[in-house]
Amino acid sequence: MLWIRSRSIKLVMAITTLIATGLFGLSVLARQADQVSILMPAPFADSTAELVKTFNREHRGRIHLNVIRGPMETEAISDLAISSLLLGDTPFDALLMDVTWVPKYAKAGWLEPLDGYFSDDEVNALASGASEGNHYQGSLLRWPLVADIGLLYWRTDLMDEPPRTPEELTNISRNLQNSGRIPYGYVWQGRQYEGLSCVYLEMIEGFGGEWLTPETGRIGLDQAPGIAATRWLDGLIEAGISPRAVTNFNESEALQSFKSGQAAFMRNWPYAWAELQKNDSAVKNKVGITTMVAQTGEKPAATLGSWGLSLLRGSARPESTVEAFKFLTSEDSQRYLYTNFGYTPTQNAVFKDQKLLKNHPSLASIGEALSYARSRPETPLYAQVSDVLQRKLSSTLTGMTSPTAGMEQAERSTEQVLDAAGGTP
Amino acid sequence: MKPGRIVIVILLIWSLGPLAWQLYTSFCTDQALVMPFASHDQRWTLAHYQSVLTSNPPFTRYLFNSLFAGVLSTILTLLLAIPAGYCLSKLGKRSALVIKCLLIGCALFPYVLLFLALLEIARFLQLGNSLIALAIPYAALSQPLAVLLLASAFSDLPSELEDAARVEGLTILQRFRWILLPLISPAIASTAILVFLFSWNEYPIALTWISDSDKLTLPVAMARIAGSSIHSVPYGPYAAATVIGSIPLILLVMIFQKPIVSGLTTGAVKG
Amino acid sequence: MLMLLIPSLLFLIAVFALPLIRYGWLSFHADSVMTGLIAIPNQGANWQRFIHDSRYWQDLLQTLRFALVSVTAEVILGLAIALILNQPLRKRALIRSSSLIPWALPTTVMALGWRWIFNTPYGPVDRLVQSGLGHSLNALGEPSLAWITTVYADVWKTTPFVALILLAGLQTIPSDLYEAAKLEGAGPWICLRRITIPLLLPYLGLALMFRLAQAFGVFDLVQVMTGGGPASSTESIALYAYWNAMRFLDFGYSATIMIASFVILSSLIAIAWFVISMARKRSVGALAE
Repeated sequence: MLWIRSRSIKLVMAITTLIATGLFGLSVLARQADQVSILMPAPFADSTAELVKTFNREHRGRIHLNVIRGPMETEAISDLAISSLLLGDTPFDALLMDVTWVPKYAKAGWLEPLDGYFSDDEVNALASGASEGNHYQGSLLRWPLVADIGLLYWRTDLMDEPPRTPEELTNISRNLQNSGRIPYGYVWQGRQYEGLSCVYLEMIEGFGGEWLTPETGRIGLDQAPGIAATRWLDGLIEAGISPRAVTNFNESEALQSFKSGQAAFMRNWPYAWAELQKNDSAVKNKVGITTMVAQTGEKPAATLGSWGLSLLRGSARPESTVEAFKFLTSEDSQRYLYTNFGYTPTQNAVFKDQKLLKNHPSLASIGEALSYARSRPETPLYAQVSDVLQRKLSSTLTGMTSPTAGMEQAERSTEQVLDAAGGTP
Repeated sequence: MKPGRIVIVILLIWSLGPLAWQLYTSFCTDQALVMPFASHDQRWTLAHYQSVLTSNPPFTRYLFNSLFAGVLSTILTLLLAIPAGYCLSKLGKRSALVIKCLLIGCALFPYVLLFLALLEIARFLQLGNSLIALAIPYAALSQPLAVLLLASAFSDLPSELEDAARVEGLTILQRFRWILLPLISPAIASTAILVFLFSWNEYPIALTWISDSDKLTLPVAMARIAGSSIHSVPYGPYAAATVIGSIPLILLVMIFQKPIVSGLTTGAVKG
Repeated sequence: MLMLLIPSLLFLIAVFALPLIRYGWLSFHADSVMTGLIAIPNQGANWQRFIHDSRYWQDLLQTLRFALVSVTAEVILGLAIALILNQPLRKRALIRSSSLIPWALPTTVMALGWRWIFNTPYGPVDRLVQSGLGHSLNALGEPSLAWITTVYADVWKTTPFVALILLAGLQTIPSDLYEAAKLEGAGPWICLRRITIPLLLPYLGLALMFRLAQAFGVFDLVQVMTGGGPASSTESIALYAYWNAMRFLDFGYSATIMIASFVILSSLIAIAWFVISMARKRSVGALAE
């Protein structure tokens, strides 16, 4: 009797365990994978498509990453996001953010701090310079995906060493132009748009000044370095070192000019390097890159133009989203993005990768320049402040205002913007 | 009559030409759009319509959203404006003139300037992303035109009719139902159609009140499509979207042209 | 009885009067992302900024240029179309509804179409110019030309509306006047100048004021067709106000721009109304001769 009972009990237990395991297994399979959505501008959505596929394969059943392909134009992405966020809606988990948006979104309370999701080691693994522009008021709010900095491109066939100061650049250009070896000395972005602010930041810092310190509200546009920087840029056009048309140049026009051998120097972003090595380039293999010029005793500045991933407050799946972040910015992903699309990496280890450096020696110069990365003023009012600078600078460069007057007006207008919006501490 | 004929033709080409060009573009392959007018074997395609109709959400969804918001706004507008118009038509000359001037002033107002206050209301009252809530500002903005049109229709009615009805003991609601409304039904039709057109075409308020891509009205959806250029020559799909977006309105104008025209001209004459 | 008026009146006040009052109040406060979108008094700092804001004044000039040129074109063309439509025509209804279609389409829908039509180098306009003049027009890329394309698009869309108003006016002119004039040997131009236009003045005035006010607030067309570019040459004050709120997250300053623009517009309309009444008084006198 006892024997039969113990056998039946064992049988019942075995069957129960089997059923329980089966149910548990089924429930695991049936659990919905976490849906994570990230809004990215179309070019980035396209370039990360393969990475997304790999991620979804590796995390099948647990996380499904969906990259929403947004407009190509930078501002349009922000407009799209803001129109939802203002209505209190969080239509996606994360956003690929331009570096200048971080303070605005952060101050509006739309971003979730990432401090708790990244260890100190991970933070320290970032290349110096790539860690700029990711914080606001002490919190980590953006994890960088692509780092971009302003670089000085120079013709290795026309000089042995690149210039280190503005004066050297001017002199070398003048000599080359006078000897007829090159039509123009220096091409840069002088059109009235954000690119002009990037150019100006490098120069005002190179002259030892600062544009705006949001914490103190100090504006350095009408100080000596600010005026000197403007005067130098204006002088380039006056002296013919830069063509008059430079006041209408954006990145692609400057690149076009340099690529066809029209200039000895160019200021542009790292992407231009690959373009200059193409077969239709007149300066193939004759180009070097270095940091922008600066006055003796001042550190050179490279304007930071990076894109990074931010977690939106109100996301229902923060952990899964951050996991996607880490995958997209891992060393392997960065190697892939760099070799296939020329995206500047953000991880230190990638810059030290010997194999990569052998095939792409320019990576070393870019990594060096990255360490001099400077952020544009990190204020939520950056868009208006930049707009003011662009207008006044553009009116100076086109000869409608003198450098001093232009910068004084810029200073006053910037002050008025900050005052009116409650941005003066 | 020959010169007159030519003028008419020019008028038609000028009015319909751009749309016809969009129609032509919508059937051209991307290649055909980029290459000069040289002849092609690969000229025609339905691919643009395919991509527009199978996108996420499908284009027809926007048409539906606009229809929904339009019908709701029209109903709300009429509910408010018919009593108001009636009342206005009964007022003394002096006060009626003052109110009419105010209404004309409101009608002149470029309502895009109202977007910020309306956005604040949407945020405060959580009215965002709701096609139903959208009817409220639309009805409010349509009031000036609707009240003016309906008031003039009411005042055109001979007063004996209503007096007789009142003597017979009909309440005001009964008077409306049996006498007044049927008599001014052409004016109601004109007003309804004009209000519907307005809400169908309205942009700034729909832009700020609706951000969810499933709930966009047609104009906002088109603007979003316009801003999302991810191709170098996206104009094929754009043209297909333009054609699909225009069809409902063309039909509307063709079918209802009489009430539209009479509504506008009455407004002009009485204004 | 007056009760019937109240719901409508309430909606009207809520949507027209309250916003303006709110803007006026808000313009004396800082209400931006810096203040957490909460209004904090700032003693007129918005107005200080406004007076020196060269971007606003440039946009105002651009908007006025756009409005004046479009409205002038629309009135002239509208009159022509109204005169055409006033003739006895076969299939008059069909022609009338066809010419009404541009007005009925949403601006943003056709704005895309215009971007393509003026596209450089593939659009039809540019191709025509290239084959004719040999070089590209770059209509949408040249600051000096882009605003003209927006004027054209606006004229195309709203001329039917003006034409309809003027047509209504034409139909109120008794034909005996024309017959009498013809008997006296007056040609068509004299008829136009001495009879048609003076009698149309109230309608012309209405159309003018209406269109002026609408064109002053141009937004849809400019945002979708040119995005305010190139180089902000087509940027309108409505667009600038919109961006101040939606891009720069500065509600206080956006309100300042809008209330100031409202005041400027009201003055312009008042001036226009005054001029038109003067013209009417004069023409009534002239007609009496």
